[in-house]
Amino acid sequence: MADKGNDPAVIWQTMIGEMEKGFNSFANQAMTSPEFSKVMNQVGGATAGAQKQLGELMEKYLLAMNLPSRAQMVGMAERIQAIEGQLNEIKALLQQVHHNSLAPESGYGTPRPPRTKRPPSEGEQK
Amino acid sequence: MNAPTGLDFASISERVQSEVQRAIQRSIKGVEYFSSSGPSLGSTPKDILAVRGTMNLYHYRPIADEIYRVPILIVMATTNRGYILDMVPGQSFIEFLLKRGYDVYMLDWTAPKPEEKSLRMEDYVLDFIPDCIRRVQQDSGEKDVSIIGYCFGGVLSLLYGSIFHDGPMKNLICFTTPIDFREMKLFSNFSDRRYFDVDRLIDTTGNMPPELILQSFEMLRPGSRVASQVQLWDNIWNDEYVKAYRMMDRWGTDTLPLAGEYFRAITKDLMWDNKLYNDTMTVGGREAKLADIKVPILHAVAEHDHIVPYDAAKHLIAKIGSSDKEEVVLKGGHVSVVAGANAIKRLWPKLDSWLGKRST
Repeated sequence: MADKGNDPAVIWQTMIGEMEKGFNSFANQAMTSPEFSKVMNQVGGATAGAQKQLGELMEKYLLAMNLPSRAQMVGMAERIQAIEGQLNEIKALLQQVHHNSLAPESGYGTPRPPRTKRPPSEGEQK
Repeated sequence: MNAPTGLDFASISERVQSEVQRAIQRSIKGVEYFSSSGPSLGSTPKDILAVRGTMNLYHYRPIADEIYRVPILIVMATTNRGYILDMVPGQSFIEFLLKRGYDVYMLDWTAPKPEEKSLRMEDYVLDFIPDCIRRVQQDSGEKDVSIIGYCFGGVLSLLYGSIFHDGPMKNLICFTTPIDFREMKLFSNFSDRRYFDVDRLIDTTGNMPPELILQSFEMLRPGSRVASQVQLWDNIWNDEYVKAYRMMDRWGTDTLPLAGEYFRAITKDLMWDNKLYNDTMTVGGREAKLADIKVPILHAVAEHDHIVPYDAAKHLIAKIGSSDKEEVVLKGGHVSVVAGANAIKRLWPKLDSWLGKRST
């Protein structure tokens, strides 16, 4: 094996790691100052307001174009997820009603394992 | 067989060959990376027990032949999605718990909608968590419930436990949970009350935008995003590395907004007045003192946590009223301590051996 100290790949990775650490540490020091907080909050406050306005403007634009916004798509995805959950519940209940012992997966209403498990003794712990 | 110069020409040739192969692989896999979606996350079979606005309660289907009497309710942090604890088979904390015979429920969050901006701390602590506990009791048929809270989910669990100290909580496990908010130095400075006008921000935006939350997390390590992308390119030939990167990256950037009033309370009560640490915290007019929690508690903290530094978490065990209490400091960071290869070796077995004997 080549000496790790001479391996250019290792040298490169170490250098990236060190640069990251150095930059983070330098930036963290700078960010602890009250001046940083002041500037960040001035800029951040203005940006948040502008982003909110831009977002509202985009919503209006998408509405005019008869297109859904990202928030609406996320909302729809969440609704679909909830409907899927309800469907699973109905499916499990139906399986229970028909005593379908060949159900591929257990769900609501199907017998659950007994709550009798004891912790393994110290010797058995992995 | 080193040459006098210290160079081994045979191994240099092998190294060059391997680097050329990697360079070719990088080009191929690089194209694959951008043209494919990441691994499917959070796929352990589960049933949705309840969905109420931002609140989601799941029950994971047991896979062991026999389970412990006491079910577990995991309370997820309100800023992030619960699938960090259910990555892919073999790297899923949920799957681990199920295999070890636990009955697992999770209180997970979705993005609060604009009309949910008025949700307050009271809604989370006095309504959502008790409601989920009731549903877990009803579903499992058991009175006792163990709670696991991750990060801010831990704070919510502590608030719940200190208010309902005679309630059904049998055990409490907190992962990387801050209680001394002064010690979260950078967050503290970002939200300095002299410059951070939380009222103006929330009155303008309604909910706290996820972009701002993500930005503040990333600012804690501003060089890390670029460095991680360089490392990704370096390792893009390695499928395992890329899979792990995509999982963590997707989760890390999938930040949730926070309900406006709730964020206002976090800023004023915790970041500014440090009320949880000072024993002056109230939720909906009810006192929340950590000393009132008397159930067994395990607090797992990470040695290199840049989000919740050890100094912000270390006082929990001293302040809690329980006699059966333990803190474990584990190698790793805020996320790697609970998910990923480190967690599989360190935290998960520790939790199993601690909780198993308290779950009968």
